[in-house]
Amino acid sequence: MAEYEYIEQKTEVSRRAFLGILGAAGAILWSGIYITTDIFQDRNKYIKMRAKGLYKDDTISKIRQSHNNHAVAAMYKEFAQKPLSPLAEKLFHTHYIDRTKLS
Amino acid sequence: MQPEPKVLKHELSSRLFHWGLILGFLPAALTGIIIWLKPGSESFVNLAMQIHIIGAIILTGSSLLYAVFALDRVVVFIKHSFSFDKNDLDWFIVMMLRGGYIKKIVFRKEVEIPPMGKVNSGQKMFSILLLFGGSFLMFSGWILWAFIPFAPKIIIYWLNMGHLLFAIALTMFLCVHIFLGVYFRDEFKAMFTDGTQSLKVAKEHAPVWVDREVIQVKKTAD
Repeated sequence: MAEYEYIEQKTEVSRRAFLGILGAAGAILWSGIYITTDIFQDRNKYIKMRAKGLYKDDTISKIRQSHNNHAVAAMYKEFAQKPLSPLAEKLFHTHYIDRTKLS
Repeated sequence: MQPEPKVLKHELSSRLFHWGLILGFLPAALTGIIIWLKPGSESFVNLAMQIHIIGAIILTGSSLLYAVFALDRVVVFIKHSFSFDKNDLDWFIVMMLRGGYIKKIVFRKEVEIPPMGKVNSGQKMFSILLLFGGSFLMFSGWILWAFIPFAPKIIIYWLNMGHLLFAIALTMFLCVHIFLGVYFRDEFKAMFTDGTQSLKVAKEHAPVWVDREVIQVKKTAD
């Protein structure tokens, strides 16, 4: 048990000050959460708008599947031979890149 | 011989919080350097990340507990850290610009230091950095841990950059803090034993604090 003769004067935090600090902390926290969720929602909003636009394009298209697309069929016929041909593999297949890492 | 009168410099809550900072920040800082520079294998860096998270949990937990259960100490800490007067300017001139610390520590010379409060001007700088930098480190750290796939890249980039820069600044200050804490043995003993310091030493290091804020609670045996 510590023995001492002197102490620092107590700083009383009154109820008013306590509520003030709590209010300020709450406001900062709330603003932070609001801004963060807003940024996240904005990002998701553009993704959803893009998806909606693509679905809309699909809906109004007469040909909706790639294997029925005349341009694709012509490209295979005149150039890439058939789907999964060595040339098609070489040109169209991509490799996985982990983009979750920052650098 | 009568024992010297003592002053309680660090309350139990502050000493426990200081242990929280040691057990939380030190491993987080060391593993943070490993995560940043990646000096070993992938599994070594992954292990460092796991320890980093444990350090972050201790750091965040102890900060929240201190803010809730010792709010008056947080208020005093902020009050001490943000109170500046002419003595602070003089302190910077004497100790930093005119090499006061080097004269005192390396050449063992007496240096006349302007009267200081409980924390001196250098400690005030560290405290302010600790307050803002520490809060930012905890906030950005948890966002980086949990929300990287969901957050915009630019936000994550700046959180990551801020996390790194604040961590480097705080770690550098910490090295100075540890050195000076160990060098001034009375300060070390006060923080790591029962929180008390002899009134004579307190008057020497923090005369403004003793004059303005310290009160007697028991009669001295004289």
